[in-house]
Amino acid sequence: MDHFEGINFSEMWCGIDAAPGYMKPVVKIATGGTTGSSLGISGYYNVASGIYDKVLVVGWEKLNEGGATTGIITAFDPVWERPSLAGALGPLALMANMYMNEYNVSPETAAMVTVKNRSNAANNPFAHLQMPKITLDYVMSSQTISYPLRLHDCCPQSEGACAVIYANEKEAKKIRDNTAWFHSVATAHYYTFGCDDKMYDLPTATIASKKAYKKAGIRDPVKDLDVAEVYEPTSWAELSWTEALGFAEPGKGGEILREGITQMGGELPVNPSGGVLSTNPIGATALVRFAEAAIQIMGRGEKRQVPDVEKALAMGFGGSLWTELAIFGNEPPR
Amino acid sequence: MGKKDQKEKPFEIRWKTDLPYKYAMGRVSVKFFETLKKERKLLGSKCPECGKVHFPPRGVCAECIVKMTVDDMVEVPPVGTLVGFTVVNYPFVDPQTGGMRPFPYGYGLFQLDTAQTYTMHFINEKDHEKMKIGQRVKAVFKNEMEGNLGDIPYFEIIGEE
Amino acid sequence: MSEEKEKKIYRGRIKVPYKHTAGDYVEKFIEEIGRNNKIMGVKCPKCGKVYVPPKMVCFKCFEKMNEWVEVGNQGTVEGFTVVTHSTDVMPLKPPFGYGIIKLDGADTGFVHIINKGDPKKLQEGMRVEAVFKDRRQKKITDIEYFKPI
Repeated sequence: MDHFEGINFSEMWCGIDAAPGYMKPVVKIATGGTTGSSLGISGYYNVASGIYDKVLVVGWEKLNEGGATTGIITAFDPVWERPSLAGALGPLALMANMYMNEYNVSPETAAMVTVKNRSNAANNPFAHLQMPKITLDYVMSSQTISYPLRLHDCCPQSEGACAVIYANEKEAKKIRDNTAWFHSVATAHYYTFGCDDKMYDLPTATIASKKAYKKAGIRDPVKDLDVAEVYEPTSWAELSWTEALGFAEPGKGGEILREGITQMGGELPVNPSGGVLSTNPIGATALVRFAEAAIQIMGRGEKRQVPDVEKALAMGFGGSLWTELAIFGNEPPR
Repeated sequence: MGKKDQKEKPFEIRWKTDLPYKYAMGRVSVKFFETLKKERKLLGSKCPECGKVHFPPRGVCAECIVKMTVDDMVEVPPVGTLVGFTVVNYPFVDPQTGGMRPFPYGYGLFQLDTAQTYTMHFINEKDHEKMKIGQRVKAVFKNEMEGNLGDIPYFEIIGEE
Repeated sequence: MSEEKEKKIYRGRIKVPYKHTAGDYVEKFIEEIGRNNKIMGVKCPKCGKVYVPPKMVCFKCFEKMNEWVEVGNQGTVEGFTVVTHSTDVMPLKPPFGYGIIKLDGADTGFVHIINKGDPKKLQEGMRVEAVFKDRRQKKITDIEYFKPI
């Protein structure tokens, strides 16, 4: 993304020649953490509209080249927000603080999310932090970087890329038999000043999920979805945002984790890929959620495959608390 | 391309951008900073339709999609309630200066009395054990005001709920 | 800016340090300039086009290019401009010439500074030669400028 690598035509920077993009229509999309999901949804719009038959979507990031926190600060209001904003982690820490107090959730419950996701990542050859033997103590003993966030409650800074090919029904048949079909997409933005509201309950996720579920015929997400790739920049975020997505009542995000519902083998595994807590090349991260949900539908998940996936949810989050969702199915939507 | 020796450092090109910008603040922000400088008062924007008081002030009520002008600005007391807090304790480059922002620093979300939005700003407390949701906070103004957000260097905790 | 206008703006700066891992091709290109005063390009195995500066993939053929060729330090000016205005973000002090140089043996243009002598006397089709800096810094500016010959 422009402000992370310091090149303001970042689509040129990532090797358009190698895409290949020469003489083709190319559009750059950069919407913060939602970049990948905006890309994912844009690919869908381009093909589903009938304008294009096949579209290549690429998300990427080389976070070592600049600083994520520094870059994020430049995306905010120079007069009101930049002087005090601490990138994304400052507001995420505030959200964790409020959620923790509102529902009396212990830091251990949040740490369990990191343990779940980074041990899931051990089954994913593409994940950055693969930790099959991770323990709760490993997370709890890490330094507090922004109370209540400990180092291992937070996502890493990764370098990586993700590419997805979209095709219409006719072209898809020529490429492979088994594809993932878009059943619905939804996007919701928020106020310009992201902190205008309490934030932690992510109202944009609630609004977007209601739209997406209605269109895809999902009535009870835990029963009707088989797997979810949720965008969790911090462990606390997965607790509160699974509630916003309707997987649990407010305050009960920790319960569905402790009861095993969101663990591998549970009723609705969340982040079998390891999620954002394991791999975070920002411009690709949300696209990876789409790709991983599609991989689950197509049965290509190998060690991280959830059995019998018919419907999958993918989520993107970023910018000023925006949410983007897609629901995939193993058959074309009726 | 052959595989690189693990010990070999990859070839890097380093640079530092240093770009000047003249951000047009907008009439509402200009009025805010003028009032802050001259009268040491805070102003918010009240939506003429729904009555919601916004702080910081702005030109549009997002929910009503209605314009809020300088005439819709109302005084907001410099005191409020702490709704969330953290102590930022990690190093990063501040893009305004190109150098590291000093840390740790207290950072909070609070609601000023009579405002219906929340605001994020510095809090002059570095120990999270001493902060609690519900505490009362007050804006601290600089002695010599310049007409920018630095005129409110931080909010201080003035008491329990 | 008038005092009235000054009150309505917030003067800010964006100062961010960056580092770019430029890759093997750029490294070899810059090293050959720095160590051996040689300018190198790569040749497409399919269409034979020689790219200077080098890139990994030929954008027309979509073929990876592995054949390095030396192109001359001299070339022909294909197009140029003379920059005479200055702003505080410009890297060089004007006036200076700036143009596209087709080095002998290359099929692509190479953009660089054309200097020495009166920049206003530049002409299309002029022959120019690379002038290397005394102290090499492993940057593209190790070719300090091109001089008319």
